[in-house]
Order: sequence, then C-alpha cells, then structure tokens
Amino acid sequence: MKHFPKLLLATAVVFASCSNDDDNTTPMTDDDQGMDPMIEAPLTYNFERNGETTVSFSGQTTRILMAEELVDDFKDFDNATEAAMLAKYTHEEGQDNFENADLNASDKNIRSKTAASRDYFSANATEATAIKDQFEQYINVQITEVFPNELVAAAPGVAGQIADGSSTRYVTGQGLEMDQAFTKGLMGALMADQMLNNYLGEAVLDEGDNRANNDEGVLAEGKNYTTMEHKWDEAYGYLFGTSQNLANPLPTVGDDDSFLNKYLGRVEGDADFAGIAQEIYDAFKLGRAAIVGGDYDLRDEQADIIQQKVSEIIAIRAVYYLQQGKNGIEAEDFGAAFHDISEGWGFIYSLRFTRNPSTDDTYFTRAEVDGILEALLADGANGLWDVTPATLDTLSEQIAAKFSFTVAQAGSTD
Amino acid sequence: MIKKMLLILLSGFVLACSSDDPAPDNNNGGDGDGNNGGGDTASFDRAALLTNWTDNIIVPAYEDFLPITETLEASVMAFAASPDLAGLDQVRADWLSAYRAFQWVSMFEIGPAEDARYRVRLNTYPADKATIDEFRAASSYNLELPSTIDAQGFPAMDYLLYGLADNDTDILAFYTTDANAANNLNYLVDLASIIKTLTTEVRDNWVAEFAASFKANTDASATGSIDKFTNDFIFYYEKALRAGKFGIPAGVFSTDPLPENVEGFYNKEISKELALEALQATQNFFNGNGQSGGNGNGFKSYLDFLNTIKNGEDLSTLINDQFDLARLAINALDDNFVNQIQTNNTAMLEAYDELQRNVILIKVDMLQALSIDVDFVDTDGD
Repeated sequence: MKHFPKLLLATAVVFASCSNDDDNTTPMTDDDQGMDPMIEAPLTYNFERNGETTVSFSGQTTRILMAEELVDDFKDFDNATEAAMLAKYTHEEGQDNFENADLNASDKNIRSKTAASRDYFSANATEATAIKDQFEQYINVQITEVFPNELVAAAPGVAGQIADGSSTRYVTGQGLEMDQAFTKGLMGALMADQMLNNYLGEAVLDEGDNRANNDEGVLAEGKNYTTMEHKWDEAYGYLFGTSQNLANPLPTVGDDDSFLNKYLGRVEGDADFAGIAQEIYDAFKLGRAAIVGGDYDLRDEQADIIQQKVSEIIAIRAVYYLQQGKNGIEAEDFGAAFHDISEGWGFIYSLRFTRNPSTDDTYFTRAEVDGILEALLADGANGLWDVTPATLDTLSEQIAAKFSFTVAQAGSTD
Repeated sequence: MIKKMLLILLSGFVLACSSDDPAPDNNNGGDGDGNNGGGDTASFDRAALLTNWTDNIIVPAYEDFLPITETLEASVMAFAASPDLAGLDQVRADWLSAYRAFQWVSMFEIGPAEDARYRVRLNTYPADKATIDEFRAASSYNLELPSTIDAQGFPAMDYLLYGLADNDTDILAFYTTDANAANNLNYLVDLASIIKTLTTEVRDNWVAEFAASFKANTDASATGSIDKFTNDFIFYYEKALRAGKFGIPAGVFSTDPLPENVEGFYNKEISKELALEALQATQNFFNGNGQSGGNGNGFKSYLDFLNTIKNGEDLSTLINDQFDLARLAINALDDNFVNQIQTNNTAMLEAYDELQRNVILIKVDMLQALSIDVDFVDTDGD
C-alpha cells in the first residue's frame, strides 16, 4: 500500500498531441525513485484510475442546465408563472418542474447552492438568506411588475418594453432587466461562489481525512475518485460542465452556457485579456494532477490562479457593461444602455463572490456592492433613466481600481 | 482570373498578419508594402463628400421612394374599398416596386431613420405569422411597440399578399368572404400606411434639419458624420445584406439552414432580385453614386485620394472587383432562395463568402486607411 500514490500518479493520463484525438493517450511514467516526483499537467482534463475515469461533476452540469431553463422563463410571457419559476429555483427530486426529464429526476436544486460556499456563508446565514431571497425577488418583480406591462412601451417610472436595435428588452420602471440581473447575478452567487469559495477552498479540499485518504488512495464510497479529487472536479464543472468536449473544453469556450463559460469566452475574445482561458484551464489541470501526486502546495497555487482569474472575469465584464451602457446613454439609446447596464448590474452583484487569493476574502464587501448598485439608481427618481455618464465612469473606476486592468482595457472588446 | 484569385489570396494573407503590425506607414507612395496610403485624411475635402452623400444620394433616395410608398398605400386603399383579383394584383405589383426601391434607402439608418427605427420597422423578416394572425383577428394592436417589428413592414405584407393560402382565389377570400375580412383589410391598410408615414417622417426630417447638421459635421472623429455613417454603412452591409439576405437563411449562424428566413419568403420569386438591388445600392454608394444621381465623391474617391494601395493594387479597385464577384455568385442563384437553399445550399454559401470577402476589405482595410474606428460590436445574442 505504501507505493499506492505512485501507482496513482502512473495512471494519470497525458494526451500526446494537441489534437482532439481522444484515443491517443500515453501514461505518465514514474521513472525514478525520487521523493519528489515531477508533477505535470495532462494535455486535457482527463484522469484515470484502473482504466476508468476519476473525473465527475454531473451535479454541476445539472445545476447549470436547471439555471438555463429557469432564466429562459423570464421572457416566456405566455407560460411562465411565479410559482413555476420558484419551483425550478427550489426544485425537489421527482417534481415535474423542467422540460428535461433528467433534471426532474435530480435531487439537486439551484437555491440550496446559492450563496452557500463554506468559506463565505457557512457562518453567515443572514446574508446567505438575503441573497437567496434576492433571486426570488427578481422573479417576483418580473412576474408582478414586468409581465403585466408586456405590451406597454417603457417610460420613466413605467415598466414595459423598449427597443435595443432589432431586439426588444423588457424593463422595470427603473429601466432594469430582471432576467439580466438574475442571470449575471447567479453567475456569482452560484457558480463562482461554489467554485472559488467552496470547492477550491482548503476548508473543503482538506476537510476531515481528505488529505490522508487522498495520500493513501482511499476512494469515496462506491466511487473511483478520492473525495479531494472530486471536490476539485466540482469546481471545474461550474466552468466547463456543459462544454461540448468536457475534457478539452477550450475550442468551444464561450458557447457552452449562459454563465461563466460564456463570459470566459467573451473576456478571452478581448485582446487585452487573451490567454486567460488557457491560464484557467491549465491551472485546473495542474491542480488536479497535483492532487493525484499529493502535492498540496502546488494544488493551492493553482487554486489561487483560478480564484484570481475567475474574479477578473466578473470584474472585467462589470466594467465592460458599465462602459457600454455609458456609450448608450450618451447616444440616448436607452434600450441598448439599459440592457448593458442590467447585465452590468448582475456582474456587480457577483463581485461579492469574487476572491482575492492574497487575502482569501472577497474583493468587494456586501456594503461596497450595495453601494455601487444604489449609486446606479441614485442619479434621479427613475433609476437608469436618469443615470449619468459620469456616474458610470466613477463606478467603473471604483471596480477596476481593485484589479490590475484599466477601465479602458475592460471597456471595449479589443 | 487567376491573377484576381491570387490577389484575393494574398490580401487574405496580409490581413492575417497585419493585426500586430506597428503603426501604419504613412509615407509609402504606392510600392505596395503598406496598407495605408500617402495622403492625409484631414486634407481631403470631407465637406464635399458629405454634400454629395446628402444632396445627391441620400435625400434624393427618400424623395424617389416616398411617392412609391404613396402609390402602394393608394392601391391598398383602393383594394380595401372594393377587393377583387385585379386589385390584389395591383397591390402586389406596387408592393414589389416599393420593396425593390426600399433597398436603395435601407442602408441610410442614421439620424431621422435611426430615430424612427426605420429599417427594422419596414423590413424585419421572417414575419411572425402567428402574431400577425392574432393581431388581424383581434383588430387590436400597437405596431409602435418594439416587439411588433416582425408583424409589420414589407415582410408582413408579403405574408398577407401571398401567404394566407395556396392560391389567389383563396387569398382573395380572406379579404372578401372571410368572417374577418374587414379586419384583414384594415390591417393591410395599416401596414401600407405605416410604411408611407415613416418614410414621410424620415424624408421630412432630413430636409428640415438633419441634412444641414449632417453636412456641417465634418469632424474626423468618432462623432463626425463620415465616421458615424461609415459605421452604419458597414453595419448594413455586414448584418442586413450579408447576414440577413444570405448568411442566416443559408445556416451560417445556426446548426441547420433556415430557408424560411429568406427575404420575400411568401412571394417565392424575389429574394434574389432584392438582394441584387441591395448589392447595387451599396456598390453605387461606395462609388459615390445613388440610383441615378451622385458625382462620384465617396469612399472610392476618398481611398484614391489617399492613394490606398494593397498588394500593388488600388484598394478601391479590389473592393469594386469584389462587389462584382459577389454579384456574379448571386446571379448564379435561383430567383427563389428557398429553392436554392433546399437544392444546393453550397452555392448560397459561396455567395455569402464572396460578400464576406468585402467585409474584410471594407471593414478592416478601408477603415484603417480612413482612420475610422468600428463603433459597433457583435451582440451577445442575449
């Protein structure tokens, strides 16, 4: 049994070329007797034990798919009801809440993992509950304020529809789109929070006997993975859980969900940040290989990279949409501006769930986030109808100041 | 031909490698090494260009189009007063004339047209059949709402004139014996009236005030008229012409082709004709001309003034050659793009590719030469 970790290492699989050729695998060799074997990341996120994969993140895939169905309801004026949307949010196993039967059969739901990370919320039930309720509130406003005004032209103080080019946006009397606030906010409260502050935190990775079990190759009951391996995979699943190729997700990054994957793709597409997708992916692979090899310092270094970069995705897009919104306001194109700022609203809400690896705490406190959101609506009586370019610039600077990027870099796509 | 193909291949190569070039070389006189010409954008007579665009092309285009929309409205009203087959044919003929003429104003989505959301209200397709059916049955609708853009304009009339039934007798019955005939006629009249009213509004606003301010704003900056309209022109070419008329129905942006998304879907004979009109309109505009007027002061003359050379050839020549290649490819297609997509979508995709090649020459090379930044981004799709 003493040599078992080395056997584990030997079974980590490396892809020999950068093609998508899944069959072309070469086992990593453990060719010396040294005490500090070199840990290398495989070319794709592919790890095996005894010829079977050890990677599993189906629960994350399930929650992303549940969220996709729920956010679609925000514009389903003819069919959606508040009760049905809440039932998707708080799904119970066997309930017929989704179109996808697999989701109905699942015992997972969205609400239970919203603002539910170990590191941020296990001893912060007050804020966690307020956040979970916030998303219910978005649903409530959409159904009670926006839906009745489906066929009303939006105006200051009046919910309704407004043109954004050839698209139609549906906003509250304050000019906010609830579906955007919900979708982009959930990206932080569910996906980023679980990834950065739960699965990549030491409290979860090293919980109980996780290290000893991982060192000894003790598998989770009935599974082919150690608990620590699985926790790491679950973090990966919130970014790549609906990718077309789960082990090699970068070729389609940006196209695979409406949440973090989508916006990793968007940030990657900005020349100022190109390479971020590969950095995050590489960190996931190397960190996972480090777990297989029992090198927890290396693991935590990779977790730091992911925490930093995923936080940047959220912050960059928050600034981007505020700047795009500013352009729209200046051009008096309110429909385009409201849509952009509403997306930004969700990203700002998500800033609460970012994580600065040098402090292991959020970049933005609850009070800071609330302050920014309040400021967006505070230039006049009618919220975004009155917001000024100066306010949007000030808030953009406030966000960018905590990071190494500039407002100009984040504010455009090139 | 081989030479032309080589040029195209070479220009593609330069593009691929040019993104991280150092600052454009400003003193090349035509040796073909740089993308940028030797001229100075500031010394070009921008006022004369804006005057030609405004007084000889854009305003005359609306002046030409307006009476055609009035004719359409009149024939629809006559048809409503006494609906018969001859009247239906007249409405169809006038609708087609107007749809064709619209291709010459559709690209001018700036100022009054932008404020009126003119293009999306006149030509969003595919038409939303279910919503149109609902509206005309209920006789209750607000066609000013943004969500109703696909229930009005030329595509909605296309459905009402050609798509209600399989043959003319049955279509006519919707306007004569159908229990809802009066509402159906009202809806048709409303659609024609909106086209005329919006066109009047846009024309009037150009003449009354926008033309003067548009011509006066000669700034070489993002808010100058040339920069703004150039962006609108490219947006039109890329989104409405290339993507709308070709790429989307051919399935370039979807898993499968979407033949029901062609322009003039119910008429079944005019998608090619409309596309060719639009192509001619954009090429004429590039060359500083309208359908009839224009003194040649436009993108071509601007590029030539700057002596913009690409691989030893005038960029303006390359762009005109590419317009011609696109026309050649479109001419080879079936009159009805639905047939084309269903029988040989590859030819449709080839036409799209020819159009796309000019996106690169215009949006990348031309904008670089004119020192104009792109001011629109692809939307998220959400």
